[in-house]
Amino acid sequence: MKNIILITIDTLRKNMLGAYGGGDSLTPFLDTLQDNMVVFKNPFATGPYTQASFQGILASEYYLEYGKEKKLNKDKTLVSEPLKDAGIYTAGFHSNAYLSYFFGYNKGWDTFYDSMSDNVTDMYPFIRGNDINKKTEGFLNNFSFSKPLFLWVHYMDVHEPYIAEESYLSKIDPSIKLSKDEMFSLFKNVILKRDISDEGTVDTLKKLYMAKVAETDQYLKELFSVFESKGLLDNSTIIITSDHGDEFSEHGGLSHDGKMYSELIDVPFIVYDKSYTNTVIDTPVSLIDIPPTICSMMEVTPPSSFKGKSFYPFEDIKPYTLYGEAMGKLGHKEKDTDKPIQYMIEDGLKVIFKQDGSVWEAYDLADDPKDTKDISSSLTEDNKQKLESFINRNK
Amino acid sequence: MITEERRKELEEKIAKSKEIVREAMGKFDHKNLAITWTGGKDSTLVLWIIKQVCDEEGIDIPKLMTIDEGDAFPEIHLILEEYEKKWNLDLVWCSNKDVIDAAGGELGADVEVAKLSQANQKEIRERLDYPGDKFPFEAESWIGNHLMKTVVFNDFLKKNNIKAMFMGIRWDEQEARTKDEYFVLREGDEYTPEHTRIQPILHFTERDIWDTTLTFDIPYCPLYKQGYRSLGAATTSLKMSDIPAWEQDLENTVERAGRRQDKEEAMDRLRKLGYM
Repeated sequence: MKNIILITIDTLRKNMLGAYGGGDSLTPFLDTLQDNMVVFKNPFATGPYTQASFQGILASEYYLEYGKEKKLNKDKTLVSEPLKDAGIYTAGFHSNAYLSYFFGYNKGWDTFYDSMSDNVTDMYPFIRGNDINKKTEGFLNNFSFSKPLFLWVHYMDVHEPYIAEESYLSKIDPSIKLSKDEMFSLFKNVILKRDISDEGTVDTLKKLYMAKVAETDQYLKELFSVFESKGLLDNSTIIITSDHGDEFSEHGGLSHDGKMYSELIDVPFIVYDKSYTNTVIDTPVSLIDIPPTICSMMEVTPPSSFKGKSFYPFEDIKPYTLYGEAMGKLGHKEKDTDKPIQYMIEDGLKVIFKQDGSVWEAYDLADDPKDTKDISSSLTEDNKQKLESFINRNK
Repeated sequence: MITEERRKELEEKIAKSKEIVREAMGKFDHKNLAITWTGGKDSTLVLWIIKQVCDEEGIDIPKLMTIDEGDAFPEIHLILEEYEKKWNLDLVWCSNKDVIDAAGGELGADVEVAKLSQANQKEIRERLDYPGDKFPFEAESWIGNHLMKTVVFNDFLKKNNIKAMFMGIRWDEQEARTKDEYFVLREGDEYTPEHTRIQPILHFTERDIWDTTLTFDIPYCPLYKQGYRSLGAATTSLKMSDIPAWEQDLENTVERAGRRQDKEEAMDRLRKLGYM
């Protein structure tokens, strides 16, 4: 059996990667893997922010399944649990507070690093990729490899406050001459306030973000070289994805609020294995299927609590209906008055329902992949009923 | 296994620790001294060193206390029980029974503050300044850690008139420990009796602990053989890999990763990101 390595990059928009046609590539290292990659062209996160999306990625569950829960419900099963029970060694390394012990994400791991007791600064409010790599390497140095391994590594670097390194930023736009303090004040005064009034500033923010993507590509390169030195690349399948994207005023906002537009729920999903040849899969897939897919790849029976289904082996994949849900929050903080927002993707159509004001929206994904022209007036009762039955599934 | 030179080095470290133990025994009456023993590698080494001194001096080993937080590894209980008998120890098993009972002994169960003893309520309201009606029973959470460890520790000091406690702290454990001293006076207040913490193995590194433990046949909990490096509550302690602790690269990796599930630490991160 092969090891499975799941690499998640917080806040990474799909169109940033070379594999998804991201122009002047920000990800030269990832691009070198393409010959041995299966690229899923249309993967969708179950939600537009960490709490809403990671319930899908690690627990195969929708965010509001048990009511408005920030903490992972005790009844939910993380993918690490059935794998560990099956005798696979499970190890996770990350620095996202929403995925920490406190929020219930420590279940099922033999080794788990959430960084919460380490010191961080305001400018870098998480452990950076190079240190996540060191923790991972330290673990691998001490690992016997006598059992199959499920390894999860998560990078936070792309997430605001976008304190970009000069070496990466200068390649994207050498005219931006901001000190780190100035970048941090953009976070405080523009991003946190969702101030999109100045186009130039929004453009600058996006370039800072892009510099963080390029920086993360370097961390991936370093991590792969650790894998290479341990012989892991010969007997592992590596999944690379993200929990959600980020908005740069495409739909009137910044960062990642409770919206279901492409800049937030379109994420990369690529699978690298030395034995693979370059393959493109156009069928839309949901990240809620990651846990059962990993179980299937590791020959473990998925628990009945998983809402998704395995799409492994990839060549047998059949089109299916995708769903997602979150709270329709605007701004960083969820408020008690926020109401749910859900989406459905079926036959190339994205249908969104906002409970706040009972608003329907619809987008033709083939003609309008960036969700700019609402065609909800042409929605049929069948379309609406199908999403409504998802929304009301527990009633 | 180790070189003659390394053995000498360890013997010197043990001799230094014995010196601290003797100094402590000169400073405090035997009846006012006690040892905290968790069953972990550090406090077991402290106990072994004290036992050497006591054997040499022909005196009894001071009273020992161990804390059951309600979430202990069975392997830890076994080693405590085994050596309690073998070494004929005066071991006091301490716990905050009031809280464990209120949780029905179930981890994660809600504990209603109003159902606790006056003393525990006072700790929660006045000392921790926690306003909630209930809290989840988790040994290594903020409230759990306080009630299950700090309060129990202080009660033990009070009830047994203890003036000084031997503890297994080491300089290399974490940044915050690097300036610790062998004798640390804790001034008393309304809740904590004044006492001295005696830390005779401060100068041992994690590597020294294992070399000493294995060279001198000092007992250790079998969990270390499975890859654990640090043992706390059962549900929050994790392996650092799957090979024995002493075979791991101790110098370039950390001994423990996020053993406490601290709400404040997570909230502080989220505040920094603007989420709270």
